[in-house]
Amino acid sequence: MNAELSRLRRSRLLIALVLVQSVTFLILVTLFGMTGAYAPTALVNNDNGPLAQVFINSLENDHHSFNLIFMNNETAAREMVAKGDLVAMIVIPQGFSENISEGKTVPITVFIDNINSDLTADIQRAVPSAVMSFGDGLKFEGVNVGVVETDSYAHDTSFINYMVASALVLDALIISGTLSAFSVAEEFESKTAKILAISPVPPLIPLIGRVMATAMVSAGAIAITVFVALVGYGISPAQPFEMVLTLLFCIAIFSCIGAALGAVMKKTLPVALFVLGIALPLFLFSGSYEPQRFDGSLIWGAAHFSPEYYAVGLMEHAVFNLKVTPEPLVLLALALVGWGIGALALAWFFSRRGFL
Amino acid sequence: MSIDITIAESTDIVKENVNDNVIYFQDVDCRISGKDILRGITLNVRRGEIMGLLGKNGAGKTTLLSLISGLRSHTSGEINVLGEKMPAHTAEFRRKMGFVLQENALYEELTIFENLKFSASLYDVQNSRKRILEVLGILGLSDRRDQVVSTLSGGLKRRTAIARAFLHDPELFIIDEPTLGVDADTRHALWAYLRLLRSKSKTVIVATNYLDEALALCDRVAVLGEGVMLAIAEPRELVRRTGSCIDVECDEQTAKKIASGVQNIQQVARTDITLSGISLFLAKGANPDEALREFTKYGSIEGFCFRAPDLSEVFKSLGR
Repeated sequence: MNAELSRLRRSRLLIALVLVQSVTFLILVTLFGMTGAYAPTALVNNDNGPLAQVFINSLENDHHSFNLIFMNNETAAREMVAKGDLVAMIVIPQGFSENISEGKTVPITVFIDNINSDLTADIQRAVPSAVMSFGDGLKFEGVNVGVVETDSYAHDTSFINYMVASALVLDALIISGTLSAFSVAEEFESKTAKILAISPVPPLIPLIGRVMATAMVSAGAIAITVFVALVGYGISPAQPFEMVLTLLFCIAIFSCIGAALGAVMKKTLPVALFVLGIALPLFLFSGSYEPQRFDGSLIWGAAHFSPEYYAVGLMEHAVFNLKVTPEPLVLLALALVGWGIGALALAWFFSRRGFL
Repeated sequence: MSIDITIAESTDIVKENVNDNVIYFQDVDCRISGKDILRGITLNVRRGEIMGLLGKNGAGKTTLLSLISGLRSHTSGEINVLGEKMPAHTAEFRRKMGFVLQENALYEELTIFENLKFSASLYDVQNSRKRILEVLGILGLSDRRDQVVSTLSGGLKRRTAIARAFLHDPELFIIDEPTLGVDADTRHALWAYLRLLRSKSKTVIVATNYLDEALALCDRVAVLGEGVMLAIAEPRELVRRTGSCIDVECDEQTAKKIASGVQNIQQVARTDITLSGISLFLAKGANPDEALREFTKYGSIEGFCFRAPDLSEVFKSLGR
């Protein structure tokens, strides 16, 4: 045991990575719990009666899917939902208190961004639940609930299918990143980097060759995964060309990021663990389960630092015609290009520094 | 002790024949991470010569080879290799050099042939297939060419690494610990191969821990100790200076008697009491038979053997 402790004391990089990983997995688990909570929902109250206020209290207190944002203008709220800034809009109609007092059925209008059916179902369950609680609190003998739902999209996307599109991006990250990182780190670990460094060819040329080879293998693996998604999950991409282009671009970017990490860390095992360790948290920060903006502005803001955010945005559009980010598609593509150039520069810089 | 004289002699050679030297070091220092690895190194290596770099682990041999190959830069002093002022990174310079690292640095998942093919593409070797087959034949690897490197023995991996370095027919061949971890047969085969290179007027630098290897191969040896050049000499001269050795097996009492008895005898330059008895190093010109007769006077011995000194004993004779 003492010998092992001494060995570990000298393996500072491994220890540091283990610590980072334990933290990232903690965050990971937390994120699972956070997804879908406190979705920003507009509440337009057109009735100033006392029962409307009681109903609002029920919405606020009895269900945790909402983060109610009070708005006066129904049109503005509807536009925000359409833009993707809000998940849904609940409208309390004029005369709500009066009609309820008289025992009449009152329609509550709910306008939902049905970008994935899981969230739509959450809202569909939450509103009647709040209504039941409202009626129960007022000791009504019978409560008539009528929800009038209007969807943003003409079609529903199942939660599983929604995730399959984003999982393809995760696959690209893990496979391309791990393979290229492993490949470059191996050059240093087996000392073949020295052989490249003293050869007449600039060492980056054979290195680029290696990364391109790993990218090709990754592309093959992703192609198989896409086939499984099409056949096994019955997904029919809305924009096939855009989907292929996005995935190829993801492979190129994540291969470059992997190469940069491999050149920095120079050890195969730690770098492979590191890529795996960062993949899932980055994935969850990318809008993989639902549009990232639904998890609050802080997390949404942080998500912009991950290339997966842009890639998932493009993929959900390519596969399901969904717009999961407020940014236009062109901006997402440009951001990915920026990441690609940045990753290439990083790989070049660290490889060069590592060789000489 | 002639350490200073030897270095002075080699410095003179350097000054006289700078242009004929394949490698020329003048007062070179190398500092890595704040630590002086090499200090005041002056050295020359002539064309067609096998120069041995002799030193214990950590003496600075590998760093010196890295400076020659351009893998590292020196801190001060002057280095010229193959007519280029170092550090040189031109493709033309690199084509003239073949380097066998201490670690074989082979692609373990590839076959011998594939490893050589990759190297041939790096060095733009013309008619590469023919050349690879030729080199494989010279190194006795023809039958193994399609074997994956990870399945090879240490000796075969070493041969493959040497084949790779020789593939582009370099002028200067640098080999770090040529026979590290190889069996006796492979060792002799590799020595024969390095002698073949010398016969083709190739310059060879060999870093080694083994004095017998230096004796078997090298025209001259440079002895490094803790980053400084202790001596540059022909290997036999180095052995002669250290003196041939007689290992005597006897009990501790007798060993002590012999050690004190031979103190004033000119034929014995130095003694070392060992676990099994005593080692006696004979002075220049000493007659081993007479020396043996002399010290048997001090007590009964169980046995003895004559042998050449090892590296550690050479270091002791150099005052280290």
